[in-house]
This record gives sequence, structure tokens and C-alpha cells, in this order.
Amino acid sequence: MSLIHIQNLTKHFKILNRREGLSGAFRDLFSGNYRTVEAVAGISFDIEAGEIVGYIGPNGAGKSTTIKMMTGILKPTGGVIQVNSLAPYDNRIRQAQIMGVVFGQRTQLWWDLPVIESFKILKEIYKVDQKMFDRHMDMFNELVGLKTLYSQQVRTLSLGQRMLCDITASFLHNPQVVFLDEPTIGLDISVKAKIRSLIKGLNREHNTTIILTTHDLGDVEALCQRIIIIDKGKILYDGDIKRVNALFGAYRTLKLQIDNFTESTLQQLKRSLTDCFGMKHGITIAETEEFWTDVTIDQARTPLSDVLSLVMNNFPVIDVRILEISMENVVQKVYDGALG
Amino acid sequence: MRAYIPVARATYMIGLVYRFGFLFNILGNLVYLGVAYYLWKSIYRYSDTIRGLTFNETFIYVALGSAIFILLKTYADWIMHFEIREGAIATYLTKPIDYQIYALFANFGAMLMNLTAITVPTALVMLFVFKVHFPSGLGLVLFPISLLLAFLISFSIDYFVGLFAFYSESVWGLSITKEIIVTVFSGALIPLPFFPDAMQRVLLWLPFQAIYHTPLMMITRPNQGLDIFLSMILVQLIWAILLFLLARLFYNQAIKVLRIAGG
Amino acid sequence: MQSLADYIRLYFIIEAQYIKARMQYRADFIVSSIGMFFSSLATLGVFWVILKSVPDLAGWSLMEMIFIYAFYMIAISPMQILFDHAWNIRFHVREGTFLKYYFRPLNMMFYYMSEMFDLKGLTQLFVGIALLIYASVQLDIDWTPLRIILLLITLFSAALVQISIIVAASCAAFWVVDSYPVLGLAWKLREFSPYPMTIFDGPFRFVFTFVIPIGFVAFYPSQLFLRPEEVSPLVYFSPLVGVGLFAITYWIWTKGVNSYSGTGS
Repeated sequence: MSLIHIQNLTKHFKILNRREGLSGAFRDLFSGNYRTVEAVAGISFDIEAGEIVGYIGPNGAGKSTTIKMMTGILKPTGGVIQVNSLAPYDNRIRQAQIMGVVFGQRTQLWWDLPVIESFKILKEIYKVDQKMFDRHMDMFNELVGLKTLYSQQVRTLSLGQRMLCDITASFLHNPQVVFLDEPTIGLDISVKAKIRSLIKGLNREHNTTIILTTHDLGDVEALCQRIIIIDKGKILYDGDIKRVNALFGAYRTLKLQIDNFTESTLQQLKRSLTDCFGMKHGITIAETEEFWTDVTIDQARTPLSDVLSLVMNNFPVIDVRILEISMENVVQKVYDGALG
Repeated sequence: MRAYIPVARATYMIGLVYRFGFLFNILGNLVYLGVAYYLWKSIYRYSDTIRGLTFNETFIYVALGSAIFILLKTYADWIMHFEIREGAIATYLTKPIDYQIYALFANFGAMLMNLTAITVPTALVMLFVFKVHFPSGLGLVLFPISLLLAFLISFSIDYFVGLFAFYSESVWGLSITKEIIVTVFSGALIPLPFFPDAMQRVLLWLPFQAIYHTPLMMITRPNQGLDIFLSMILVQLIWAILLFLLARLFYNQAIKVLRIAGG
Repeated sequence: MQSLADYIRLYFIIEAQYIKARMQYRADFIVSSIGMFFSSLATLGVFWVILKSVPDLAGWSLMEMIFIYAFYMIAISPMQILFDHAWNIRFHVREGTFLKYYFRPLNMMFYYMSEMFDLKGLTQLFVGIALLIYASVQLDIDWTPLRIILLLITLFSAALVQISIIVAASCAAFWVVDSYPVLGLAWKLREFSPYPMTIFDGPFRFVFTFVIPIGFVAFYPSQLFLRPEEVSPLVYFSPLVGVGLFAITYWIWTKGVNSYSGTGS
């Protein structure tokens, strides 16, 4: 029996169609006009112990709804969901004993207390025996030097330090599965690396299953063997990360701000790129926010520097940004059948 | 000064959005009126006049007092505490605004909203449900002026207390103490004539009675004569100016703390 | 799973740490305690002033009013000290930080409320106890062991009534954005608890006895000690009212917690 078993899971929300104006608000009180939103529309997958799974998708895709059902917050509308053979929603307190949860932005530790006190309280809450507590605290110290933070109040920690504390705290009671939601958001590259190696180390130690939701593809690349892509409540892809990586790892998005940009400039840009590199070589152009144009390039086929020098030589470029491929683009490509 | 009118308008509009809140505020006030009615009824069980006031006079006093209390209760100190703690105060300092005037107009807008949403309905309920009889006289004409001055005094006191937020994290204790002192000693809770004579003499020297007692007197005893009313208004005016300036001075001191400490 | 003993032990551990952390802000503690001192005696001050002009209030003397008031102060202390976090539900709900309370193997109300321990409420408790002793001495109340047990039971259930009213009102935050006025109203009602219920008749007496039973916070239980011969059978229901009301409040809390699905994608 897999650790997490999900079959045909659905979740519907009833949203009130608010009527306009004061009289509308009044009528709403008496006869609600509801529409049903299918946040999760029938998904199935199994996750075994020890896996590190990346659970990704654009905002509003149904990610957090699924996570909430796995952690027992939300009751499913239909289908089967079992974690460690129990339905999460009906067994919240019992399931909480075998789970760890970390939110990227908000700490779960006690704000005014020194770090070590939070750990001690968690020890009591989860009934961790002294031996395991000592062993784990030593391990945390080895991995990230936690001891130096013991006496600091959580509120005085930097974001990076807080994340390290939150993540280690979530492993203290040796949970079977840990949910990490945006663990590296807002952090600089060196701290991100530290956190990624922490997560890998913790996963190795007790073969803890890790479910990672993130918008940072770097996290996914570094940590996950398996990736599940969800969009509009349905699963688009569930499988090995190598395939996805091969497809997107080399993609870069070049954001350009061109002076006096008009429709004809866009056409010119398309033409010159096609003339020089041939559009089939993995280049797409899209006008995104006002004044910015996105040029997505598959570096495996066309070097970024070539595209950049062509554009800069022929167009009045005011500003340039280079980004890794965005989640939206990944999903779009998966939609377009990139993964088959 | 004209530039600040939109500020008042903005806080007034915000009030319109929180309809649910006003419903409960009105409900709360009505409950208070009912309780006050029964309380004073039982107090007047023994005689028709106590301390020179009849039941009717006292009830008008207390009921109106509560309506005006809501009106003149600015949250200036709480808001300032919040803004200083969140660091929002920095946005005001970088703009060419006079913070005290800004706060004044903002609270004024809120006051107008309270006037329309709470005070007026309360007055209507008193007139038509409790069938309270309002005597007429000169006092009623001067009442709005007195109310305005009372607002200025109340605002200045709150603003003054709010400035302590520059110095300390905890404004709660100070604000609550201030509230108790103002509420009890201004005549808002019990009509001042009920206080022992010795206390009354002391209280007359303090600004608190100029907030509630004076305007209330104008409505409950509107026939006292122009000279008496003018002297009352003069007292209010003096307190209003004095406290406003005092708060201004304090602000100049307090703001230095912010600039030095870095906020 | 946690037993009752576990919860008690856990509570002590958490609060000990919390108090230690708060004690660093000594000035804040002193100033708030002073503020608490004044605000808790405000209504008593009103009674005192009034009773200078009339012989009694609906048949209750000043000393009896002090007893009722002291009972009230002690009865509302647990709400003040232990459930102060209820006031912040609306902030946590709005900002999405309320989610974290779902993830521990703990009862959620316990977990949420344990995060705050209002030290200044202790001032109110001690003043209340002092006043109660003073009034009972002045009134010459005979404190038999049975009477003391009765006192503890009625205080406990009165505390439950007060807690239930405030926490139930704070649960409005789970459904409505502008929920503060509900709490504000509940808080205001608390002020009327030390009033003698005999001044009310009709709808008000009904509401304060059966609907939002603030009468059971101080007045009705106090009668057991002040006028035991005149006690109406209603008073003996006090413990039931406390427990029953808390059960209703807990049901409301559970409904609120289940309906809140949080913000975020």
C-alpha cells in the first residue's frame, strides 16, 4: 500500500455570484445564486515512502487545494484519498503526528521565543523521546549549524535563518511525509543552495517522503526525481523529471523593453529573428506586460548571446532582463503536447 | 487647509463600506440606551428629583451622552500607535503634509460618518420610541458649535496620547487610562451633578467636562441665557486651542526621537 | 493523541516560556497593569457615585454591589487571561496565518488560545479577590466549606459563560470580513454583567437571562451568598448554563474552522 494513495479525487467549491449594488446585496442574503468551481477535477496518483515529489502548476491550478486535502484541512467532494491508510480529513489529529508542514512565508514557530524553546515545545507536543530529540538536534546542527541560532528569538531571524529553522523543526518528530510549500521563496542563491542540501540530507536520513510545491524550477531540478504538473484541477504530467528537464532546463526568457514599440516593431522583430535563426529553432515571441516583450529561447538550439546581440544591434533596446523559463510557459508547453 | 478636505471625504466613504459594522454599533448603542433606562428608573425609585435633576433630564443626558460619546470618540491614539508600529508614519513624513492637520481631518471624516450613521438614528429613536421630550431654547442653536469645539478637544487629547507611541511599544495602558479618565470625569457616564461637590469643583478646572458636559448642558438645559452659554463656549475654545498647541509642541519633540532612532 | 494531563502539562510549558518572553517588556507590563486596574474599577466607580445619592440600587446596598462586582471581576479573569487571543482571530484569518493551527496533533482551540496569556488580567483577578474578601467581611458572610465549594463551582461556570460569549462573537471572523463590531458588542455587554438583574423587566430580563446570559456571570450566582433565602430555583442552573453555553460556542468554533479554507492558491 503506498504511503499516499489518491484516486479520482475531486473538490468543488460553491461560490456566490454576487449581485451588484445595494439591492443586489440584499437579495443575496435571501436567495444565493451559486456557481460551482471545480478546484480539483478528478486526479489520481500514488506516492511511495522516500520519494521527493515536485508538485507544480500555475496559481489557481488546484495545488494548494490538493495539499489541503492531503493534510486533512479540506474535505474532498469525491474520490479516495489516503495517507498512511487513513483518510486525512476524518483523522486530523492522528495524521498530524506523522506529518510535517512548512509554509514559505509564515513561520510555524513561536514568534517571541528563542529558537531552542520552540523545538522543546514541539518535542512535548509530538512526544519525541529524549534520545531521538538529541540525535535530531545534533543532526540539524551538523547540517546547518542550528546551535548558533538557539538563543535568538524567532522574530529576530532573517528569512533564510527562519526557513532553516522551520524546515528542521518539521522533521523533528520523524514524520513520514513532509509538505514543503515554497521553501526557498524570497531567498538569495547561497541560502537556496543551503536549504536544498538540507532537504536532501533530511530525506536521506529517515527516508522521509517529501512533497514540494514551488514556483522555483531550480528547487525542482535540484531535489525531485518525480514531478507532477497540475493545471485547472487536472494532472497534466506525472513522471520522471528527466524528461521535463531535458525539455525546459535549457530555456531562457529574454525580456526586452524596446523604445517606440508598435505593432510593426513586433513584426520586424519576428522577421529578423526568423531570418537569422529560423523560428522553428525554439524561439517564441510574445508581448506581455505593457512595454515588455518576451522572447523565449531554447539555448540548446540557439545561444542566448546571439539573439541578444542581434536584437541590440538592430533595435533601440532600453532595458533587458534574462529569466529562466516561467511556470506558466512550462505548463503551456506541456499543454501543447511537448511531453506527449 | 482646503487640501485636506479630500482626506475627510475618504474616511467618510470608508465608513460607507462597513455597513455590517454600523449595524452592530447602532444595536450596541440601543442596548446601552435600554440598560441605562432601566438603571436610572430604578435609581429614581425613591424620589422624583436627585441632585436637582429629574429622571427625564437625567435620561436625556445619559442617552444623548452615549450618542455624543460615540461621535466624539476619535481613535486617533490607536491609529497612531498602529501607524508608528507598522512604519507607515514614514510615508507621511516624506510628504509635504502637516501630520496633525492630516490626522484631524481624517478623524473628522470618521466623525461625520458616525454622525450620520449613529447619532442621528439614536436621536430619532429617542424622539419616537422613548418619546423623550427635548426642551427648546438658545442652547440648541449653539449646540453644533459646542460640539465642534468638543471634537477638537477630544482629538487633541487622543492625539497627544497617541504621540507616546513614538516612545514606547505599549500604548494600550495609556490609552485605556486616558479613556477611563475622560469618560468618567467628563460627565459622559454619569451626569456631573451626581459627583460629590468637592470633586465637581476640581473637575470644572479640567478640560474633560468641556468635551461632554458642556454640549449636553446645551441640549438638556437650553434656556440658561446667552452669557452663561458664551462663557461655556469660551472655556471650550480656550481648551481647544491650548491642547491643540500643546499636542503640536509634543509632536515636534516626539518626531525627533523617530528621526534619531530610525523608526 | 493527547490526554487531558498532556494538555495541562503542555499548557504550563508553553505559557511559562511565553511569560518569560513577555517579562522582558517590563515597562509595558507595568503600564498595562495600571491601565487594567483603572478600567476594571470604572463601573464600580459609577455605582459608588450613584450610591452616594440614593440609599440603594434596586434594593442592593453598596457593599452588596461590591460583592457582586468582585465576583464579576474574578469570573471574567479567565476569559481575559486565557482567551485573549480570540481578539486576533480576524487578523489571522484575513492574512492566512490561521492555517498553521491545523497542522499540529493538537486541539485547535487549545493551540490557538495557548499562544497568548494576558498578564495584565492578573491585576484584575487580584483586585477582584481582594474586593471579594473585603465585601464578605463587611457583609459578615459565613464561609462554611460547603459555601466555599459552591463559590468555586459558580465562579467556574460564570467564567465559562463569559468565555463562551466572547469566543462565540470572535468566531464571526471566520465568515465576515468586518467582524470586529460583533466582538465589540459582546465586550460591551460584559459591562452590564455586574448590574442587578432586578432592575430589568420584560424583554431585557429575558435576553440577559436566557439568550445572552450575562446575568449568570455575576448577579445570579452572587445571590447564593448574599440572599440565600430569596434565591430563585433559576440560580441552581448556573453550572449547566456555563457548560451548555461553552458547548454551543465550541460547536460554532468547529463550524468556523471547517468553513475556513484559507487564502492562497
